[in-house]
Amino acid sequence: MGATDHTHAEEHSHEQGDVRKITLQAWLKPAILAGLGLYFNYNLASGNLTNYINVRFAWLSYLATMLFLLLAAVTAYDLINARRQGSQHTHDHGLSWAGLVVVAIPLALGTLIPSRPLGANAVEGDLASGITAVGGATAFTSDPLTWNVLDWLRAINGSDDLSGFNGQQADVVGFVYRAETFPPTTFMVARFVISCCAADAAAIGLPVIWDGAPELAEDTWVRVRGAFELGEFGGNLVPILHAETVERVPEPEHPYLYP
Amino acid sequence: MNRVPIRLLAAFGIFALLTLVSLSTDGDPALVIGQFSTRFLGIFIEAAPFLLLGTLTSGLIESFVTRDDLVRFVPKNRLLSTVMGALLGFAFPVCECGVVPVARRLFSKGLPLSVGVAFLLASPVINPIVLLSTLTAFGFGPILVGRFGITLVVAVGVGLVFALSARPQDVLHAPALVPIGGESGEAIPLYVRTPRRSLRAGLQDALRNAADEFFEMGRYLIIGALLAAGMQTFVPQDTLLSLGRGPVVSVAAMQALAFVLSVCSTVDAFLALAFVGTFTPGSILAFLTFGPMVDIKSTLMFLSVFRRRTVLYLILLPLLMTMLIAVWLNLNVAF
Repeated sequence: MGATDHTHAEEHSHEQGDVRKITLQAWLKPAILAGLGLYFNYNLASGNLTNYINVRFAWLSYLATMLFLLLAAVTAYDLINARRQGSQHTHDHGLSWAGLVVVAIPLALGTLIPSRPLGANAVEGDLASGITAVGGATAFTSDPLTWNVLDWLRAINGSDDLSGFNGQQADVVGFVYRAETFPPTTFMVARFVISCCAADAAAIGLPVIWDGAPELAEDTWVRVRGAFELGEFGGNLVPILHAETVERVPEPEHPYLYP
Repeated sequence: MNRVPIRLLAAFGIFALLTLVSLSTDGDPALVIGQFSTRFLGIFIEAAPFLLLGTLTSGLIESFVTRDDLVRFVPKNRLLSTVMGALLGFAFPVCECGVVPVARRLFSKGLPLSVGVAFLLASPVINPIVLLSTLTAFGFGPILVGRFGITLVVAVGVGLVFALSARPQDVLHAPALVPIGGESGEAIPLYVRTPRRSLRAGLQDALRNAADEFFEMGRYLIIGALLAAGMQTFVPQDTLLSLGRGPVVSVAAMQALAFVLSVCSTVDAFLALAFVGTFTPGSILAFLTFGPMVDIKSTLMFLSVFRRRTVLYLILLPLLMTMLIAVWLNLNVAF
């Protein structure tokens, strides 16, 4: 290592431009690491993290913030040290510009594209055909008025007698999803369920009938209050929420539901 | 050695992405790009901490633990020793990028062939960090159990095949072979290990390695995540289902993808998540078991240790075994 270092340093001293290029490239490494550390920290501080992963794994982002900043500090320290010792050549391990650019992609996407949770445009067709299968029923001891879309679907899927839902009051929050096949006064109050991160997001929803439905823009976050009534939806007999009130609400702090 | 595949891979990734974008028919481009970005960052944000943990752990072990004495504790019984080889990863977590040099050094210390091969194939999966990342991605369930079970079976199986039918000199390149020669004689180390360093120097080295490795492996993760997110965003679900529902085709497709993407085993579980809705469970398991054993990256490293014919076996045996198991699971087990 020492011998090659020496000859490299000599070569470079003759070509100042080359040295500067290599120095810039070498400094990109701690810069990208620090940038990623700050980006992870920003996600935590701004609450944007819940657009991407299950909040249960937020501790991983704390860990990553610390490790990225630590690695940035160590690589920067090495570069400063190398300069002080007069050697311009820090051993880069075949890091090409292309490699650096690839690692900077998450930073670019994370900072340049506004952070948004998955919405109605990310729903794949199968939501329209009725109620997506979600896991069976769990024991429901809480007040049904506090149940979210996922709780209701679990209860419905785990029930043998759907007529039991007739007249049952509900109060749920979700975004408006509509397929072309829906009647004009029908929409779905939908949510994405994620267990790990946005990559495993699955859309679920409850059919809602409301006279004001045609005026609701897709993707609007709404709070729907009403009562269930068995009816035909997408060719199946399912409990349909007949809305008494539908109010616009801001996007919730946790846009996804966690199973 | 590493530049060629990453360029090929990058070119492949960009080509695939462009194809996907041109295929997509969805409306508002801002919404579509936002959706793509959210899916991509979801994978990256969940996976990056594990990549850091993995590189840091292997760096720390490299700095502070001497693995070479291990050879003395290998049991005499062939089956037992091969199983032990497959489980060694729990003591020394390294992903597939780090496993080949370690195995090479262990061979040179006289580690039996079957044990080394089992270690080589199993340890990228059978280690605590991959256990944690797979648990994070899939929770405790059939995928986690299947991933570890299949890896163990295939690694031990291939190890035993080597034990029964091959002599070291038929398998290894001459340089890796030299020290194995004498049964009773002392092994001649391939290169002399530097004596253990101080805590500070060791830590610094481990951190430096972790930074380098993050860039090295981060690229594979990012290209893989771009492709997975692009597929979810731009390819119509019907198209994916027609490929992903076939019990055999889906397995072959996911194995090919695992081989090409070469994503580090510590984070491949998060990529696999993107395929869960559309691909058969068997094919997901094939991705999670075959990929860590054999991919473009590890094939290149195999070639530096083993003879060509052996490398062919090291690719084909795991390929066929994981494929058979995955297809059998698809046909016979309801997940």
